[in-house]
Amino acid sequence: MGPFIAPRGLIVEPITPLTNDGSIDGQGLKKLLARLIPFSQGLFLSSPCMGEGKTLSAEQRVELFEEALVTIRGRVPLLFWITRDTEKDTRETLLALREILRKSSYPGEVLWVDSPLFYHSNRGLPAYYQNLCSLVSEPLVLHNDPELIRGLTKPFKRQNIRTAILKELASLPSMVGLIFLGSLDRAYNYQRACRTSAHFRIYDGDELQFLDHPSMGGVVSRGANLAPKTWQEITEASLQLRGDQKYDPEYLSTTWQRGQYLRDLVDLYGQTPVALIKQVLWDLGIIQTCFCTRPADHMEEAKERIKEMLDRYGDL
Amino acid sequence: MLNRNDHSGTFPPAGFLSLPRAEQAGRFHEIFCAGIGSMVIDEAKEVLKIEAQSILGLVDRIGAEFEKAIEIILKNKGRLILTGMGKSGLIGRKIAATLNSTGTPSLFLHPAEAIHGDLGMVTPNDIVLAISNSGNTGEINTLLPLLKKMGVKIIALTGNPDSPMTKMCDLVIDVAVEREACPMGMAPTASTTAALAMGDALAVVLLKRRRFNPDDFRRFHPGGSLGDRLAVKVREIMLTGKRIPTVPMGSKVQRAIEEIEAKGIGATLVSNKVGKLAGIITDGDLRRLLLKQKNIGELRVEDVMSPSPWTIDQNRTTAEALASMEMHSIMHLVIVDGEDRIMGIVHLHDLLGREEFRVNGAFHRTPGTHR
Repeated sequence: MGPFIAPRGLIVEPITPLTNDGSIDGQGLKKLLARLIPFSQGLFLSSPCMGEGKTLSAEQRVELFEEALVTIRGRVPLLFWITRDTEKDTRETLLALREILRKSSYPGEVLWVDSPLFYHSNRGLPAYYQNLCSLVSEPLVLHNDPELIRGLTKPFKRQNIRTAILKELASLPSMVGLIFLGSLDRAYNYQRACRTSAHFRIYDGDELQFLDHPSMGGVVSRGANLAPKTWQEITEASLQLRGDQKYDPEYLSTTWQRGQYLRDLVDLYGQTPVALIKQVLWDLGIIQTCFCTRPADHMEEAKERIKEMLDRYGDL
Repeated sequence: MLNRNDHSGTFPPAGFLSLPRAEQAGRFHEIFCAGIGSMVIDEAKEVLKIEAQSILGLVDRIGAEFEKAIEIILKNKGRLILTGMGKSGLIGRKIAATLNSTGTPSLFLHPAEAIHGDLGMVTPNDIVLAISNSGNTGEINTLLPLLKKMGVKIIALTGNPDSPMTKMCDLVIDVAVEREACPMGMAPTASTTAALAMGDALAVVLLKRRRFNPDDFRRFHPGGSLGDRLAVKVREIMLTGKRIPTVPMGSKVQRAIEEIEAKGIGATLVSNKVGKLAGIITDGDLRRLLLKQKNIGELRVEDVMSPSPWTIDQNRTTAEALASMEMHSIMHLVIVDGEDRIMGIVHLHDLLGREEFRVNGAFHRTPGTHR
């Protein structure tokens, strides 16, 4: 069997539907994922920002994972954020989730996503991951988000994985990708470092960066919660997944307009993506409540504009 | 909205928003324009960096497949046929041109035209280099099975080594890029740059392996040197002074033959007593005369010469001189001044270069002429 090939294209970063008491809204999750699966090449659940993974308890994550396995049923690869506050907690979460996966005889692909600098410094990361990879048979994806690390009460000295360290990590057979947020200059350095690892993919975690200069690995999108079809069309166009339409002027014009529509959406939900997207999905009847761990105010106008745009572009 | 694409975060400048409104308004235009200007340059720099990275990425990936491609192209007895649609097609045309000028016979085949008859230009001895970044181009994927059926070897130049296209190819050269510079794949940018650079790499390696030398290069590039040559003035290349073959009126034809032989341009001018042009005797005139009578050496030149030969002003270009020669089916033009005094003569070979497509570096400037 050859090395695992990480999915390429649109990876959606779904919100985590919660009920008012903070438990997972299973019905909402089912509806949401059913809406997203046909248009995505992967789903990144429990992500630190959109999936509220940073504030979900270990029990909530387990519950979310179990619900996701039942709903997705192997139709698209599932990426799941395992990071906790400490190395020990992260390892325990990983093993707990791994055990659930083993018991479920899940037919599809699961990739564990970890933000190492959330609880570990760059020093000793290769040895740490060698050990972590030996505990599980599923592939791992790294998550590099300097904003996430900057927001910690006691951040490590560095907010990005060091390029030389990434090079070592990318050479591990189980390490198949990186969700990258940060400057383009760093992206070039990372790409250069990972070139020798043919199996390693770099995804744009920053939607605007992808819309401007698309990474050929694909994008991890928040806006796809709202407009999955358009995000898929734009990702297909950007990665040139279909070679037959690109000479059609009508197609180019539509692509340009849809790209602009996605940018406008990002501008609208950019400041409070979780709360606002949950509000819209709740209004659309997809999730049962708009409860989120970080509520925001004064979103009515933005919400109405988003709904109006979704309607206009056929994403309702 | 202004700074949506401004990754540096320096626009508007720090402190601007805390200025009094009147001052903000006063400085808005200055700052706004400076901001837009720097955004434009920043965007342009990003594009150039992405394109540069796309080529650097190839450096790490190039390997055995490239070597094999070089090997089979060198062994091949036919031509290297490039094919591709859209921007890839344009890249294919450029690579074909580079290959041709560096010693690898090559041509471009449009995939759509190919399946409407142009496929006839392909022989089983040829090799096809198919370019498609996605590897999903419909026209290419229609064409390749037909080529395969003809027994033609196919090399893919693609950014997607796992695509349907590559399954029909004998070799796959990976030109994948990590990032495109253009939003939403509207126009391939970094990927076409990478394909073009790889094409150049193929051409240059083939050139070196074939031991292609500067003389070969000149042989394939007559246009450049010839173009330069035809732009110069007649006065710069005409033969002048003692190099002009001339015999005076009243001389015997034998003298004219000796003059033609001595000056070596296949003709001699005939001048009157005051040095004005009276006529011309060419090799052709003598040949035709010999057919009529055997003993021509004792004849006088005025009996044999063509009076009023074609002339041209010394300030005309050599292109005009060439056109005049073509129009009148002659090999020589005489340069005279306003009073018909002989100033020089040009031969067709002086216009084209006496050696085969001689380059300007080796251009022999006639002594005694002035710009």
